[in-house]
Amino acid sequence: MSETTQANPVFSVRKLWKVFGPKAAKVPGDQAYAGLSAAELRARTGCTAAVRDVSFDVHPGEVFVVMGLSGSGKSTLVRCLTRLIEPTAGSLVMDGEDVLAMDSGRLRELRRHRASMVFQNFGLLPHRSVLDNVAYGLEIQGMGKAERREVAARMVDKVGLEGLGERRPGQLSGGQQQRVGLARALAVDPEVMLFDEPFSALDPLIRRDMQEEVIRLHHEEGRTMVFITHDLNEALRLGDRILLMRDGEVVQLGTPEEIVANPADDYVRDFVRDVPREQVISVRRAMRPAADGEAGTGTALAPGALVSEAIEAVARTGEPARVLDGEKLLGVVGHEQLLAVVAGNGGGAGTSPAEEAAEAAVEDAAEDDSAGADRDGDSASGASESDSGAGDKDSADHGDSDNGKAVAGV
Amino acid sequence: MSAPALEKRGTPAQPRAGATAGGPGGGPGRPRGPLAALGSRPRLLALGVAVLVAVVTAAVLDGGTWPTALVYDIQTRLDQVSDWLTDNRDRHWIFLYVLLHVSNFATGTVDQLYLVLSDIGWIGVTALATLLSWYVAGAGLTRRSLRVAALTVFTFAVCGLLSLWDYALATLSLMLLAVTVSAVIGLLLGLLSGLSNTCERVLRPVFDSMQVMPAFAYLLPLVLLFGIGAPAALVATVIYAAPPMARLTSLGLRGADPAALEASVSLGSGRVQRLLTARLPLARKEMLLGLNQTIMMALSMVVLASMIGAGGLGDKVYQGLSKDSFGIAFIAGTAIVLIAIWLDRVTSAAGEQLDAPARTTGSGFARACARLRGWPAWSGFLALALLAYLTGPLFGQRFWPPEWTVRISAPISSGVEWLTGKIGSDVPVLGGTDTWANNFTLWVLNPMRDGLQETPWWAALLVVAALALVGGSWRAGLTGVLSLSVIGAMGLWEKSMDTLSQVLVALVFTLVLGVLIGILGARFDRLMRVIRPVLDVMQTMPQFVYLVPVVALAGVGRPAAICAAVVYALPAVVRITAQGLAQVDTAALEASRSLGATGIQQLRQVQLPLARRSLLLAVNQGVVLVLAIVVIGGLVGGGALGYDVVYGLQKSDLGVGLSAGVAILCLGLLLDRLTQSAGTRQTGSGRN
Repeated sequence: MSETTQANPVFSVRKLWKVFGPKAAKVPGDQAYAGLSAAELRARTGCTAAVRDVSFDVHPGEVFVVMGLSGSGKSTLVRCLTRLIEPTAGSLVMDGEDVLAMDSGRLRELRRHRASMVFQNFGLLPHRSVLDNVAYGLEIQGMGKAERREVAARMVDKVGLEGLGERRPGQLSGGQQQRVGLARALAVDPEVMLFDEPFSALDPLIRRDMQEEVIRLHHEEGRTMVFITHDLNEALRLGDRILLMRDGEVVQLGTPEEIVANPADDYVRDFVRDVPREQVISVRRAMRPAADGEAGTGTALAPGALVSEAIEAVARTGEPARVLDGEKLLGVVGHEQLLAVVAGNGGGAGTSPAEEAAEAAVEDAAEDDSAGADRDGDSASGASESDSGAGDKDSADHGDSDNGKAVAGV
Repeated sequence: MSAPALEKRGTPAQPRAGATAGGPGGGPGRPRGPLAALGSRPRLLALGVAVLVAVVTAAVLDGGTWPTALVYDIQTRLDQVSDWLTDNRDRHWIFLYVLLHVSNFATGTVDQLYLVLSDIGWIGVTALATLLSWYVAGAGLTRRSLRVAALTVFTFAVCGLLSLWDYALATLSLMLLAVTVSAVIGLLLGLLSGLSNTCERVLRPVFDSMQVMPAFAYLLPLVLLFGIGAPAALVATVIYAAPPMARLTSLGLRGADPAALEASVSLGSGRVQRLLTARLPLARKEMLLGLNQTIMMALSMVVLASMIGAGGLGDKVYQGLSKDSFGIAFIAGTAIVLIAIWLDRVTSAAGEQLDAPARTTGSGFARACARLRGWPAWSGFLALALLAYLTGPLFGQRFWPPEWTVRISAPISSGVEWLTGKIGSDVPVLGGTDTWANNFTLWVLNPMRDGLQETPWWAALLVVAALALVGGSWRAGLTGVLSLSVIGAMGLWEKSMDTLSQVLVALVFTLVLGVLIGILGARFDRLMRVIRPVLDVMQTMPQFVYLVPVVALAGVGRPAAICAAVVYALPAVVRITAQGLAQVDTAALEASRSLGATGIQQLRQVQLPLARRSLLLAVNQGVVLVLAIVVIGGLVGGGALGYDVVYGLQKSDLGVGLSAGVAILCLGLLLDRLTQSAGTRQTGSGRN
């Protein structure tokens, strides 16, 4: 998905570097170091480049996921966005304003009102009640006690902690504590929320709950989110777009579908190998041009419908399904195409005979998607007309909820 | 009292040269005899050679004392300083404009506090103290707060019953002021070193050294500056008691959860905002622990400072000891112990209170109490105290009514005399305590002392250096050699060797007993449950009090001092050992058990090696604590350096007193660094 939306990006990051170590400032821009691996760079300069020459835009209303294994620099990157860690080089613009040029007062304003963060280890104050923890950001802003507690009480209810406002963080479970962290970040009504691996410390089931909570909040409020994770499933589940990082560098930037269908290199391919592809890839990637006589038969599917939905439809009717964009027939998917996707050799780069047609369709659909602030997540498009049209949010939830066992949109 | 010792940790950045002591000779898999094993560890070999040289030369050469040519006559110089101080006390500006003000402030405030407390009257003081303790311990009908309140009433009642009321008031007045000043100074220093790395680098070694200094050693210069009385006692107490507050405040500020601090920054807090809303509150627990230690150390020092005219309960103990009237010393000691336990329980209950959940449920009374917390309660207390102060004189007596007292000091004295007469000597088969003490002196102490004194000075330096090298730190060796040289240069070699022999003997006893009890305690939960409260009480008692019972049993002399030192240092050693063993990785222990190891094998092969760091810490703590008491033993006939300090204090003889004090500090530094260097080689946080 290209970065050609009309609205100004929330964050516009260009050639950002963060280098730790002596003479850190010399590393960015020096061609001699450009091609070195992280280990070579450390051997040569004694410096560690946590973020290397990273560029991306975060669009309003999207969930932008930064994914990578530990040590890939993703947490450093998100801290650079509000200068919790000072970038070494590059440019960082938020809503047209140069963040790196801000003085400390302006920067504090940004942190207080425009971007708030949720942390992996919660970062709650153990000596305060839940309510006062949630109100902490407002207290820092200088809001009066009665007012901020009122706002905080609303937020506590919103994240599902009704009646726990007087507890201390130590009396809550991990999931509940992170809900407090979430409420604290929400309470200041920020323009963008930054999540630094917020659910890594939680049990899998609770993690799923929390992910659903985030999806729900995003659905209700449409707030821009930057979400750091090392969990591919989480990234696919939440992200409108995913930035994959490795050793501080961008490996690939794209929608979940693009990343699964067209891995940029072997590293990414390895990464996405175990992803249930039929849950991520849409029929527009899998379809072939319609042969004569196929235009009138078969179940109608939207181009954004998942392969898993198509499998269901094809299995039910026993004939290829049509992919329709409105009234226009884009192509058809039959057993061969669908099985190829599941087997891992279909829907990818250069393997489908319908590649060109599909590309064109993708471009069309992409404009549809990004025009609305809705997420399309890892599944259906926003303009679904198929019988799976229970709303994109639902199909997203179902689509991933059992990691490929359930078939969505029945 | 030795609680501060528990939070002592080693400096992390020690050279780890010793860790590579594998040596070229000892290849893996080659069978090695003991000699070969020694050869593969050159440092150990060096130590062996040094010890051998020392023993042989001590036996062959006669008289190993520091050569007189190398002695610098520091005593005359000090006497000159002392004379100058005496001459200029009424003239020089530093006295007139600085010290005099400090002195007047201290005297005035303490007197005023004493007057206020006595005006409030005994009923008022008891009631206020009880209310305050109850409030601090949670202000509810919980078991904890009620128990603390009852303890308060009991403590004050015992003080009254033993007709020690006004002594107790005097001690409390000095305590109030000393604790306030120490806490404020400690807090400020702690803030400095917690927030600034430069300050931390400067202050940390100072705090570390303060902790190993026997307080006894620096009383004398203060007496010369301030004269006998409350000011000197106050300053000594502040010097002694402020460091733990500072250390722990700094520790708390530095240890604050980084995630919470980062969250605070990410929400846009400024520096001051962050300090007030996040950093300080996050450090509350450590700060309260620091306050607890400061209070306990202040009490210990206030009691000890009776020697320099602080008055109060300590004075009673001192009188009792010097008049050899056990009864008086005993009842005063009892009162001090009760006060110590009371203060400790109140402050630790306050610490536990921090963890307690906010009360939203429970009876109406509890909820009413919970609502009272915070500033309204404190201002309420002030108002109550003021009211009691104004109306106090109207009700009843200012002091505990004399007809409600019991005089038990004389019966106790005669009872103990009768007992010591019975068990002192001529007990069939066993011998009796006096006989033991005499034999102990004759067969253990004297040979030890003579041996150390016979050892040539250069051989002693050699042994110290070799010991430090085995520990792996040349810096410790340098400190040790320098300390010993300073002792020698002051002409105090013989006396220091005497003191050292007592310390070493006491240390051996402490370690053997302490580690044994610690191992047993770690193994048998039930034993630990029995001895834990005993250890708690023993750790809160001021040093001075330990002398009372041992003098009654062993009479005056070196055995009494050593006995007191062993008893004093034992709790810390037991506790550190037991904790170290208990903290051993359970997986490793389980693995060894699954391989069929017996209890002894588990202990020897898993627990002790893994708890090595704790054991070394125990040695280190043991040394420091033992030295502190051995020198105080100068009061009860321990002789040597301690006696010089006492003599200097009594005669205001700076030359004798201060040089002995410096020698004690040097010994402390030497012993601490030698034992510490071995401990810091192990990695780990060392937090106990």
